[in-house]
Amino acid sequence: MDVSRRGFFKLSGLSIAALAAGLGFDPAVAKAKGYALKLEGTKKIPSICHFCSGGCGMLLYVKEGKLIHLEGDPDHPTNEGTLCPKAASLLSVANSPDRVTKPRRRAPGADKWEDITWEEALDIVAKKTKEVRDASWQAADQIANAKTGLPESLAVNRVEGIAFLGSAEVDNEESYLIKKFCQLIGTPYNEHQARI
Amino acid sequence: MSPSFGRGAMTNSWSDLKNAEVFLIAGSNCAENHPIAMKWINRAKENGAKIIVVDPRFTRTASKADIFAQIRPGTDIAYLGAIINYIIEQKLYDQKYVLNYTNALLKVSKDYKSEAGLFSGYDAKTRKYGTASWGYQLGPDQKPLKAESIEDPDSVFSKLKSHYSRYTFDTAEKISGIPAAKIKEIAEVFCKGKPASILYALGMTQHTTGVQGIRAYAIIQLLLGNIGKAGGGINALRGEPNVQGSTDMANLVSNLPGYLPHPINTDKTLRDYLVRNGSFFEKHIVAQLKAWFGENATKDNDYGFSYLPKTNPAVNATMVKLFEMMNKGQFKLLFNVGSNSLVSIPDRQLVRSALTKLDMLVVSDLFEIETAQFWREPGVNPADIKTEVIMFPAAFVYEKAGSMSNSSRWIQWKDAALEPLGESLPDLDMLDHLFKKIRKLYAGSTDVKDAPILKARWDYGEHTSALKVLQELSGYDETTGKLLPTIGDYLKAPIGTASTGCWIYAGVTGNGNLAARRNNADPSGLGLFKDWSFAWPGNVRILYNRASCDELGQPVDAKRKLIWWDEAAKVWAGNDGGDLVDKTKGPDTPEGKLSFRMNPEGVGRLFAATYMSGLPAEAPVDGLPAIGIRPAGLCVDGPLPEFYEPTESPTTNILHPEVSISPCALVVSTQIGKSDKFPHVLTTYGVVEHFCAGGITRNIPWLNEIMPEPFAEISKNLAAKIKVVEGDMVEVSSARGKITVRALVTDRLQSYKVNGKDTETIGMPWSWGFASLSPGPSTNEITIAALDPGAGTPEYKVCLVDIRRAN
Repeated sequence: MDVSRRGFFKLSGLSIAALAAGLGFDPAVAKAKGYALKLEGTKKIPSICHFCSGGCGMLLYVKEGKLIHLEGDPDHPTNEGTLCPKAASLLSVANSPDRVTKPRRRAPGADKWEDITWEEALDIVAKKTKEVRDASWQAADQIANAKTGLPESLAVNRVEGIAFLGSAEVDNEESYLIKKFCQLIGTPYNEHQARI
Repeated sequence: MSPSFGRGAMTNSWSDLKNAEVFLIAGSNCAENHPIAMKWINRAKENGAKIIVVDPRFTRTASKADIFAQIRPGTDIAYLGAIINYIIEQKLYDQKYVLNYTNALLKVSKDYKSEAGLFSGYDAKTRKYGTASWGYQLGPDQKPLKAESIEDPDSVFSKLKSHYSRYTFDTAEKISGIPAAKIKEIAEVFCKGKPASILYALGMTQHTTGVQGIRAYAIIQLLLGNIGKAGGGINALRGEPNVQGSTDMANLVSNLPGYLPHPINTDKTLRDYLVRNGSFFEKHIVAQLKAWFGENATKDNDYGFSYLPKTNPAVNATMVKLFEMMNKGQFKLLFNVGSNSLVSIPDRQLVRSALTKLDMLVVSDLFEIETAQFWREPGVNPADIKTEVIMFPAAFVYEKAGSMSNSSRWIQWKDAALEPLGESLPDLDMLDHLFKKIRKLYAGSTDVKDAPILKARWDYGEHTSALKVLQELSGYDETTGKLLPTIGDYLKAPIGTASTGCWIYAGVTGNGNLAARRNNADPSGLGLFKDWSFAWPGNVRILYNRASCDELGQPVDAKRKLIWWDEAAKVWAGNDGGDLVDKTKGPDTPEGKLSFRMNPEGVGRLFAATYMSGLPAEAPVDGLPAIGIRPAGLCVDGPLPEFYEPTESPTTNILHPEVSISPCALVVSTQIGKSDKFPHVLTTYGVVEHFCAGGITRNIPWLNEIMPEPFAEISKNLAAKIKVVEGDMVEVSSARGKITVRALVTDRLQSYKVNGKDTETIGMPWSWGFASLSPGPSTNEITIAALDPGAGTPEYKVCLVDIRRAN
């Protein structure tokens, strides 16, 4: 009995039926059954790899809120089910004990972090944004007119003291809100690693 | 690519690579850094395609090559110039394509000159060019004059021919270290393949001449007629999962979303902005202002144009320069979402110092990256650092709904599969909460400066909805509040009645969420997959595909038909969406002729001329400056690629010794080394097991097991000379610093001759830093911060170093 990788999906139901019928001795079926048990009861959710710009399709297998397995999406036209070693390792990021899971603050001069609440963190950052924004507001640039050479004051409505590094690692919607946020508070100083 | 074709995006797609007959892969080790590319390249190879790889090292990609050439880092334009010269001399160009789909016949201004490494208009004081003399000769109708033949001495083609006549195979050998016979072989094989594809990545862009290197690719592909065709194109393999999308969304100082130019201080009104940028942008900037300010953006208040900040064009605030400004104390608050500059910025002492000048650093990331804990890097006393740091725990990609745009411009949606770990939250939620808090702090203010915050449209639901944001990008009919079905509907809507946050994404959710489509049918067999997700613009899979047809609108390649004019139905039909202004305008109409519709000339640009289309023949009667339609994209360092040595080079430029390095390069590093003290060329690269600055991958145990530490890869000759064997520790030093790593002695790097002198390249991966599960020295301790003057990309790929055994 030849059990192909994709065949597992079809086999999972069949193998349990085979087991119920007392036919549990074929090694290929037994292998398939073992695989099926791992994925039994999981929800299969299609997604996208998060490393290079290939945009390879992935299938995430989630059980009780936990990612227990991932693999290449055989239906995805770019990768047709294959994954590189980096992509395959993303499983461990979802469940990593080294993730930062609470907002933190490092006070000026301190040598360690302290955990704070989201509410506290957002309040600190919002207040600082307002403080720096108000203090570094530049209403106008003073320049020499290119044609006449005479000094000219040009309204610019710009915040000089805040910069924002966005990311090629976040979603489109997040990149867009970063830009919109920057423009609304008045800072054009928004860059990210696409530049480099 | 934008100055050549009108858009700065990969022209074709991953799955289209299988259609190529020959590949030039130069500046990309895709087998390691974009493994999925190899799947499709190998498929083409099985069908007989030839693979040419040019790289400083014999890489994993090179192991699949039919022809491999080892090049001295930073000398690509020398051998590419020789290939351009060969194509012209041997008349190997596609005559029809060059005449119909490029600016070859247009007459260049009589004021244009190119001498001894400098183009006309150079100002040595500012190290910048005035670009007026790079224009065309214009007729009374303000349109470029067209020569009768390409032999006309004023034609673009003649300028190209004379410019590259200096680039012989022998000269290219002396500069690049590639034997002349090998360059000729590359030229012959590449020109024979139809279609031929070029692939590149950071190996081409990370130079002070990065933009011009890509321009050289564009010239070759336009001459050979390879743009707009299945299996052709210039495939810029973008480095990160959503770098296409984050660039589309303009997390860059020079743009607003959808590649709209950022307003500058002399744009007092929307009209001034259009005088500078052309009327093409009017619809798009107004639609964006409508998306941002809703009913508070009206014709009467100039659609809220004054709410937008205006930049000072005299200030260059691109990424590395931004850190320079920070180091001078300009910024008090830095937001840092999803990047790790303390590892990734060249000559990283600048970052280390700049971060200490901030009042507050706000980081959002999955792991405690180096940048977040710069205050406790070994050797730093935390008590000396007064910067307050707030770190938000970011949700992982599978813990949030949203879309990413891959290198093929496919906008792909994913649902959230998991709850965010612990208290982590998506950056979308963080930004939403933060903006609402800031708006509350300003509530009731009547100060004009606070109007943009208080008058903004910002409603993404109580639980921040990514779909609502994507719908804002897709666009609304502002008169009904309904989503606009397609980009066509958006383009038809009168100005001021439609909104979209990013016009090139218009229609993505207009008829359901098209980014979530999963139909993988491919009836043409060309790998187009046009019902899988959604590609911008308007679901076009191969950009500029009008150029795949002849002047009658019929495909020139019968095996690879993308689009065609259906004379009976009077419409452009095809396997792909047509990259056309209007699908009902036939090949004999002005609109139907445009092969490169985003360029003001409507054709591909061999010569990146200064030009604004649509200016009236006579000045407007109201005395106001005239508004044209659209300006050409320019390269600030010249209309044609010229070879310059890297900022730190082991030799002098033999083409024009007086102007050895780029006359416009922006050098940020203060310490520059010379070859007497630092005789070897360092080039940096990535390995498959680690990703960029390593913030994620150095926290993944099994990747650390297979690639635990950085190293210096050296040739056997160099190893013998400095008396080390593989595994020994070596100290690699530059004018900026030194690091100690293990030596990897390989055959993948060979000694070579440059201008007759023996030369060595040293290769080092750069993904390490002092934190994570697998810390290691950062290669950017020694790299140089010297930037491409147009793109601001640093010259990571070349600097001078010395190496010795570490005892």
